[in-house]
Amino acid sequence: MPVLSNSQKYNLVKIMNDHIPHAALLGIQVESIEGEELTLRLPYQKQLIGNPETGTLHGGVLTVLLDQTLGMATVCSDASEPSVTPTLDLRVDHLGVAPAGKAIFASARVYKATRKILFVEGVAYCESKEKPIARATGSWVRVADVDLSWLVASDKDATSP
Amino acid sequence: MTQGSDVRDKPCLEVLDRWLQKVPYALFLGIKAERADNAIIFRLPKNKKFVGNPSLPALHGGVIGAFMEQAAALHLIASMDIPALPKIINFSLDYLRPAQLHDTYASCILSRKGRFISNVTITAWQDHINQPNAIARAHFLTPETN
Repeated sequence: MPVLSNSQKYNLVKIMNDHIPHAALLGIQVESIEGEELTLRLPYQKQLIGNPETGTLHGGVLTVLLDQTLGMATVCSDASEPSVTPTLDLRVDHLGVAPAGKAIFASARVYKATRKILFVEGVAYCESKEKPIARATGSWVRVADVDLSWLVASDKDATSP
Repeated sequence: MTQGSDVRDKPCLEVLDRWLQKVPYALFLGIKAERADNAIIFRLPKNKKFVGNPSLPALHGGVIGAFMEQAAALHLIASMDIPALPKIINFSLDYLRPAQLHDTYASCILSRKGRFISNVTITAWQDHINQPNAIARAHFLTPETN
């Protein structure tokens, strides 16, 4: 299995992301893929506010974004072939709050891949990855391989991010 | 200690309903607080907008987590003398079974209520509480009002 190029990963992740109704509803979009690191973006929206006095986002919204980002980062791993991977567990540390009016980004990568388990870590942030709002770790289970030959073959037509 | 029974009984549902109306994201999820026997349980009504996997179909795991976190916060609020919004410190979630496009329930145990920090254990289920879809733990910072 050849390592997928950034544009192949981008196409694959974009198809997966757009296929998830709840992600589409929240306007979660693929921001970038650099090597094994995937970044998604969630636009600010009033319906996601957790504290009505400050306008900051609900902690659960960060769980949604991080679950989505860490889960989709599994297909960006160069150490294992893309697979159908349900979430086993997820832990989120809330280091700060998601400020009112600002889009939130989440970046994640697989830091260890075994035959059955993918260990993933990531952060959610607003302005800089160096100032995370939340940090997450989780594990995903490889249950079935996905045939990606079509994606590799169609790379000539792939549009770059 | 039975699940959900360590919250006050009488004004509890009214207090929780007020919070559920006040927090925009709780309204977005459409969470309901309900009485079951002498405990409070929370319900996430089934809604296609929460689907994460359209081929099963299954609810988005993140939404289940968010629902459980909100349930835990409300459970904690219900135990306070002066209800105030607790701040989440961390949240640890184990997914046990995919959640189908059905109503989802959550009940909580206030495992520890300290002066500043509380620990809440949450169980989420659809068919039966003995077959949970997810279990979670949350730590909260509680405002120093009680």
